[in-house]
Amino acid sequence: MREITYLEAVREAMSQMMRENDDVFIMGEDIGVYGGAFGVTRGMIEEFGAERVRNTPISESGISGAAVGAALTGMRPILELQFSDFITIATDQIVNQAAKIRYMYGGKAKVPMVLRTPAGSGTGAAAQHSQSLEAWMTHIPGLKVIQPSTAYDAKGLLRAAIEDDNPVIFYEHKLLYRTKADVPEQPYSLPIGKADIKRQGKDVTVVATSIMVHKALEAAGQLKQDGIEAEVVDPRTLVPLDIETIAESVKKTGRLVVVHEAVKRGGYGAEIVSQVIESEAFDYLDAPIQRLGGLAVPIPYNPILEKSAVPQVEDIVRAVKATFK
Amino acid sequence: MLNEVFMPKLGMTMETGTIIQWFKNEGDPVKQGEVLLEVMTDKINIEVEAYHTGILLKKYYAEDSVVPVNLVIGYIGEASDQAPDAPPLVKGGEETEEGDKPTAAAEVPGGARQNAAVPEYGKPRATPAARKSARERGVELRSVPGSGENGRIHKADVENFASESGIRATPLARRVAEDRGVDLVSIAGSGERGKVLHADVEQAAVPAATAGAETAAAADRMIKLQGMRKIIATRMSQSAFTAPHVTITATVDMTNVQSLRAELLPEIEKQTGNRLSHTEIIVKAAAVCLGRHPSLNARWSGEAVVLQPDVNIGLAVAVKDGLLVPVIQRAQTLGLADLVRASKELAAKARDNRLKPEDFFGGTFTISNLGKYAVDSFNPIINQPEVAILGVGQIQDRPVVKDGQLAVAPVMTLNLSFDHRVIDGAPAAAFLTELKNVLEKPFQLLI
Repeated sequence: MREITYLEAVREAMSQMMRENDDVFIMGEDIGVYGGAFGVTRGMIEEFGAERVRNTPISESGISGAAVGAALTGMRPILELQFSDFITIATDQIVNQAAKIRYMYGGKAKVPMVLRTPAGSGTGAAAQHSQSLEAWMTHIPGLKVIQPSTAYDAKGLLRAAIEDDNPVIFYEHKLLYRTKADVPEQPYSLPIGKADIKRQGKDVTVVATSIMVHKALEAAGQLKQDGIEAEVVDPRTLVPLDIETIAESVKKTGRLVVVHEAVKRGGYGAEIVSQVIESEAFDYLDAPIQRLGGLAVPIPYNPILEKSAVPQVEDIVRAVKATFK
Repeated sequence: MLNEVFMPKLGMTMETGTIIQWFKNEGDPVKQGEVLLEVMTDKINIEVEAYHTGILLKKYYAEDSVVPVNLVIGYIGEASDQAPDAPPLVKGGEETEEGDKPTAAAEVPGGARQNAAVPEYGKPRATPAARKSARERGVELRSVPGSGENGRIHKADVENFASESGIRATPLARRVAEDRGVDLVSIAGSGERGKVLHADVEQAAVPAATAGAETAAAADRMIKLQGMRKIIATRMSQSAFTAPHVTITATVDMTNVQSLRAELLPEIEKQTGNRLSHTEIIVKAAAVCLGRHPSLNARWSGEAVVLQPDVNIGLAVAVKDGLLVPVIQRAQTLGLADLVRASKELAAKARDNRLKPEDFFGGTFTISNLGKYAVDSFNPIINQPEVAILGVGQIQDRPVVKDGQLAVAPVMTLNLSFDHRVIDGAPAAAFLTELKNVLEKPFQLLI
């Protein structure tokens, strides 16, 4: 099978949908000739033209409001926010409009839009361009929240997001854009709300999201040398959350480590842990749960400090071992 | 230095004690050996002495309070000591060795014991999986040594502990067994997959009551339902309300048993120093017949009937304020002289309150003989988990028809109650018929 990058997979999912369905279009800041902040949309304007690849003013509120309106009138917009940090500006349109309208109109209106945006630290972009704010969006009923960790998942889940009649927040990760995976050329969609076991193991369950999936897999490799077989579960979609798969894994292993890049305090890991404890997996837990997340500090500009502000492979190894004490 | 005052555990059946009277008030000086309070147990009132010299700083329970054994009921210390406002809920007696004398509880804070980083809330430190496993296996977490941090008990610790001890029992059953010195191995569990339940331990450990046809004189005197009476009450109603009882009766001509007894009496008296009674002959006959009718020699586990290889016959013995059912082990192997020895010894021990837990073990069938009273017939209640019980009435001369002629013969009525869940009428009737035949022609016992 052909190997492409995460970035290319995202682009391919959009392009394929746009070829199939004229209602699908994209908009965002500098997504045209420049190809967007990370080059995701590079080349698309050549294929689809400026009407379907629309550059917008620098106004996240405006972009998201326009997307809500377009979606209400029957289009299927995909908007790109350059950095997920700027979702703060788009929040009123997302939270009070996009997420609410279908409910408030008794299902007579719908908002089939996808908001794509890169999150995460590791690029030296400092505190205002490095956050992981997905927990905010998971709190809002009416939104679906997706965090793919691989090129394969990105392509399949983005297609599913575009096909979905609800507003979907699609979090990409800056550091994952260059990662490669085997990705089929033909279009496919992955179910929203289905976790993926990225590595089978019997001793401990590591639930990791986005870039932490890769760190967890690396940690699992190291732990194997210590005789610990970690099972790495990637929820892939935070809302809806596939708690069954996670709980089933915990029932098998009896140990749980949850890791995400977002600040630990109030992070989505707390939700995952809570749901595990509420599930029948509770009776199978045989060690205190370990929860890893970013430090409660703005992401530092200094690259060494930036790295130390979010969980690293050795932190995951340590957390896993702590469950065996 | 605070010293705990415990509700003492004064007997194998004692689970709670009632404080009758405190002889000291809070603030009073107390000397070691001085009488501190009076406690009513299942059976007796007893004065409890102080184990320490100092000041009675705290009394947690007022008079008339019923307190579980080994619970802290007060503190003795120095005037400067501060006793907690509320009594600790942990039993101090977990550490006692014989279970009959409270010792000062281990100094707990600081986790002196690996498996006892507990006391504040009375709960062992354990993972949910360990707790679940302990529940399923009937292991008491408190007794499991934890291998984790701060003595935390993990699932594997419970599994190791359970496989070491090897027996499935509820935590309560385990504790009661420990308290009473009953070996769990010897108990046939009646719970799910043979799990030993509290009732099974009671059954093995205690005074099983039977066939109570005794009606207490119903004056206005109120007798608190406790101790042996409580156990009898629980077990009798449980049996009567769970096992569908059927009682069948047969009249036995005891002429030949009486002449057999008359002939053997001097010989057995010479050998054993005791007189052969009809009871032992009936036990002998029942043991022989049970061997031929194994379905009645069984224990009901709630899901299965376990046919027993040995015939262990329980004999209902009336004692003061109650009934005990000590068991003659392997009665099928005993001759009449041995049966006399065994039954007389058990009866004497019962009356003197000297029976040990092993004297109650493993009964497979019970005989309740009310023949010394003017009782012809009665419906005995099965001594669960056994499945049948024989009630014996008095022997009385009655008109009988022999070979077409009216005659007078000593006649006795046998009453067999059986659990119809387990045994049907025909096999029960066959057993009773055979028993009647054997008693009427006791030489058959030689076959």
